[in-house]
Amino acid sequence: MKTDAPRIVAGVRWRSVQALWLRHAAALKRIWKVALTWYLVEPAVALVAVGFGIGRLVEEVEGGMRYAVFVAPGIIMASAMIHAIFECSWAVFYRITGGFYETALTAPVTVTELALGDVAWSMTRAVLATLSVGLVAAAFGWITSPWAVGMLLAALLVGMEIGAIGLIFAALSPNTHTLSLVFTVVATPLYFFSGSFFPIAVLPDVLEPVAWVLPLTPGVHVAQGFAWGELSLTHLWSALYMVGLTAVILPLAIYLLKRRLVT
Amino acid sequence: MIRGRNIVKRFGPTTAVDGVTFDVTRGETCGLLGPNGAGKTTLMRLLSALSPLTSGELAVAGYDVSRQGRAVRERLGVVTQQDGLDTDLSVRQNLETYGHFSGLSGRQSRRRADEVLGFFGLSERAEDEIDHLSGGMKRRLAIARAFMTEPDVIVLDEPTTGLDPQGRNLVWEKLAVLKASGVTILMSTHYMEEAATLCDRIAIMHLGRILDAGTPDELIERHASAEVAQVRVPTAASTGIRAALAATGCAWREVGTVVHVLGRDGQRPQIPRLDGVRVTYRPGNLEDVFLAVAGRGLGAQ
Repeated sequence: MKTDAPRIVAGVRWRSVQALWLRHAAALKRIWKVALTWYLVEPAVALVAVGFGIGRLVEEVEGGMRYAVFVAPGIIMASAMIHAIFECSWAVFYRITGGFYETALTAPVTVTELALGDVAWSMTRAVLATLSVGLVAAAFGWITSPWAVGMLLAALLVGMEIGAIGLIFAALSPNTHTLSLVFTVVATPLYFFSGSFFPIAVLPDVLEPVAWVLPLTPGVHVAQGFAWGELSLTHLWSALYMVGLTAVILPLAIYLLKRRLVT
Repeated sequence: MIRGRNIVKRFGPTTAVDGVTFDVTRGETCGLLGPNGAGKTTLMRLLSALSPLTSGELAVAGYDVSRQGRAVRERLGVVTQQDGLDTDLSVRQNLETYGHFSGLSGRQSRRRADEVLGFFGLSERAEDEIDHLSGGMKRRLAIARAFMTEPDVIVLDEPTTGLDPQGRNLVWEKLAVLKASGVTILMSTHYMEEAATLCDRIAIMHLGRILDAGTPDELIERHASAEVAQVRVPTAASTGIRAALAATGCAWREVGTVVHVLGRDGQRPQIPRLDGVRVTYRPGNLEDVFLAVAGRGLGAQ
């Protein structure tokens, strides 16, 4: 069939990336009622439990800020991270073992294009999660600054960077047992040590730099900057750190996926 | 349309394809006939540029699979052995998504999906879940997917394995129509009936090599006797008949309680008379050819 020659930039045909993104969107649309619970109910429960529960015990942090206001951007980013991890490790793993990638690769697409499409979808999921949980937090009055819209930018960065990390696990895992390591090794430590629930400054001096290097910490930092309307140059460095980390991890993930799929 | 020269594919110490040379010309339907493990699937993966060659040359429609993989896959329709259908999507969405992957626009994909659904008799199931389709429908959908782009060449890996006779006939019927329309087809199979029904030319594959190739008639004439003895052997007589057959020096294979015996030098085989053993004769077929060239039956493991 005649097709208007799709554009190829740097060896990547963007229409293939878009095709995978559209496939994911179509699949999500088919199950939107269930998906609503992932995007809204689960994180809303976490938000309410921490905001009202712990928020009652911890009255305020850092110069008189209410705990719920402190914790909201962190929980939102944690939710974005969970979506990115699920997409790029779990869902991608099943697409590899279930023959989806194998079939897609019989079309004129490349492994790189599939990886980029999956990361693009991971970013989309991170944004959707941020939107839904963010709206709940705003409804409780825990997010007030109009700058908070900028958290969507933080979500894009988290979706991209954590998505790339997830792909590595999908590419390397022989089975779901090893795949579940992504939760014990990545998701859980990041959930608790990225400055979401307590300021990193309260950690012991030895652990403080470790926490700053963790990939979710800069995302939480950027989200907090926007949510509280207090932006500084440190937020720019954080964003650049995430971009830099992705620039290293994503090519590695693509290499590992190729090694797994093209044998 | 397909040109392979000395193709070798190794996975670590195992050699899956061991120096295969073959050609498929435009409009031809060519079959790779061989048992599981013959290297058919590996060869098909090499063709769709899903898997790099260890050595040798392989070109599809004039494009080299090693260097021009994308160009090859733009002209090639591939039906893998596992249908590879996307259970998160509807029947129609499966086709449209593949259309997008192949570079069709949204509108082109929708239009083409309608045509393909109609041709493969799936129009009424367009909005169904994949899990609600029968095995035969799934296979037809997998073949339909390969036709989203009107490919010049289509490669099918065991298109009817696992289907019931009715599903198999439907698939054969569609493939026959496509063949008549001039599409070049390369298919692998371990059903001799399938190869005999659909293929203009057949390559006998065993342990990574092509042992011989030709039209079904040529192959039968070359390797099998015109008449093959079918000996129905009661269990009690089986030891005796084996000893008697071994003494004749004929090639033979056992399928259940029936022993098929090929004649030597194309002659009708002479079966020693034994009590309770019934002998009938039938024309030689591709299964006999495989026995003659590979020294074993197609179905045996």
